Amino acid sequence: MRVVIAEDNALLREGLVALLREREIEVVAQAEDGEGLLRIVEGHKPDLAIVDVRLPPSFTDEGVRAAIEARRRHPELAILILSQYVEPVYTSELLASGEGGVGYLLKERVGEVRTFVDALERVAGGGTALDREVVAELVRSRHAGERGGALGGLTPREREALALMAEGKTNAAIARAMVVTPGAVEKHVSNIFAKLDLPATDDDHRRVLAVLAYLGAGEE
Amino acid sequence: MIFPAMTGSADGPDGDDYEVTLALHGAIAVMVGVLVTIVWVATGAGYFWPMWVWFGLLTTVAVHALGRRGIDVLEQRERPLTFHVELTAFLVAIELIVWAMSGGGSFWPIWPITALGALLGVHALIVNRELLPSLRERELTERVDVLTRTRRGALDVQAAELRRIERDLHDGAQARLVALSMQLGRAEDRLDDRPEIAALVRQARSEAGAAIKELRDLARGIAPPVLADRGLVAAVEALGQRAAIPVAVDAQVSRRLSPVVETAAYFVVAESLTNVAKHAPSASARVTLADRDETLVVEIADDGPGGAAESDRSTGTRATGLSGLRRRVEALDGTLRVTSPEGVGTAIRAELPCGS
Repeated sequence: MRVVIAEDNALLREGLVALLREREIEVVAQAEDGEGLLRIVEGHKPDLAIVDVRLPPSFTDEGVRAAIEARRRHPELAILILSQYVEPVYTSELLASGEGGVGYLLKERVGEVRTFVDALERVAGGGTALDREVVAELVRSRHAGERGGALGGLTPREREALALMAEGKTNAAIARAMVVTPGAVEKHVSNIFAKLDLPATDDDHRRVLAVLAYLGAGEE
Repeated sequence: MIFPAMTGSADGPDGDDYEVTLALHGAIAVMVGVLVTIVWVATGAGYFWPMWVWFGLLTTVAVHALGRRGIDVLEQRERPLTFHVELTAFLVAIELIVWAMSGGGSFWPIWPITALGALLGVHALIVNRELLPSLRERELTERVDVLTRTRRGALDVQAAELRRIERDLHDGAQARLVALSMQLGRAEDRLDDRPEIAALVRQARSEAGAAIKELRDLARGIAPPVLADRGLVAAVEALGQRAAIPVAVDAQVSRRLSPVVETAAYFVVAESLTNVAKHAPSASARVTLADRDETLVVEIADDGPGGAAESDRSTGTRATGLSGLRRRVEALDGTLRVTSPEGVGTAIRAELPCGS
């Protein structure tokens, strides 16, 4: 996996590079701002870009805008946004912006090294990795309520399973997290798809994307 | 010789009479003046003493004219102050002429002129004393203007400071804690063979995580990132999307407003939507933002049961939230109005001055 990093804080950038090296993930280039990100994506054609939301010069949502632009130019590029805060608007925009994998994680999740590297690999493989707080925000969004209370029709356990699914967890991982059998999870999942009126497929990631697309639909 | 006759004729209050005698007086004075001048020529010119005669004669004519004005004052056809001004001008003129005709020199008329001016000033002050409170009023108005401006300035500074603090937290303490948490994670990753130490490190990392979360909540209370990043309209739309009830947003604001106005408007919408979700969970809401004549109008209307009272002492919570909003809005010289007729729904309307 070839990775580029756009992060203006040197302390975090270096920490991230060191952490990835230890895990034998190759960081091919680093940038400190949005333009730099576009340049290194152009120059190195990485599989994945790890991008901080706040980048110079504006120090607002520069990173998100640069990431979306990078995906417009390279739709297959996977993006993992790292942020110090949850902003569902940005997540929705990213989800809508291309075909490649998308992740949005709070920065402190990097400390959970194994989970973080799993998330990286999933995103690089075209899947999703959304922070549990992002998912919580998305799940309680209005879109749920507007669709005839579709999400309202889910049982609390099914909601829980949906949230874990949206984080990108496999059925086995969901079973562990909910302390139930994998069989029970499968039942929850098929119930969720039935209630949300989503066509079931074999591919976990596509199902997750479908759920997220459903939750994020209608964002401008 | 001529004097008594002239002043005698000034008694007549009748306008025409008075003017006739004044004209006669003037004509006689000029005649006498001319005669005296002829005498001066006949006696061989020399020092032009007739000028004193001219001066005396014309002074009597002027006194005669002024006398008429005096009568007007006595009969209240004229304001005493106007007469005082004319009299002062007359006396000053006399002094200046006498000074000039006596060959100039040290400008002694300055003293009587100053005294006359002071007298006139005192008179004007007494007459216009009812205007004095309005002076005070004007002073107070100016003071209020200054206070309004400086208070607004202070609030702007405060809002900018808060955003700076938020940014400093983000780039400083928060970033350091994140770096710490990364390093702890790396350490933990290498401690597979020492599970008890790994557990300690994990605990330390979760403490760092809790600290990061607290800082994040603190920053969000100052202003949510999307508000600072993209402005009021985007932030309010995000609020609408995240609300637990359906929300329609109609935003007619095309410019960035000052941080303090944006933040106040944002919290009005956020708090109001939370209230709707809490008190009328099956309602839907409509948020309107309009930038009209330097006033930002923020309205949140729902189709719930209505009947909400701001001064609801029994529940307290709603009242507290609203009074907090009211303080925020009033600090900007804005107004907050709540209308909640039973069975119609609740509307909260805030108007915030947002002129540059």
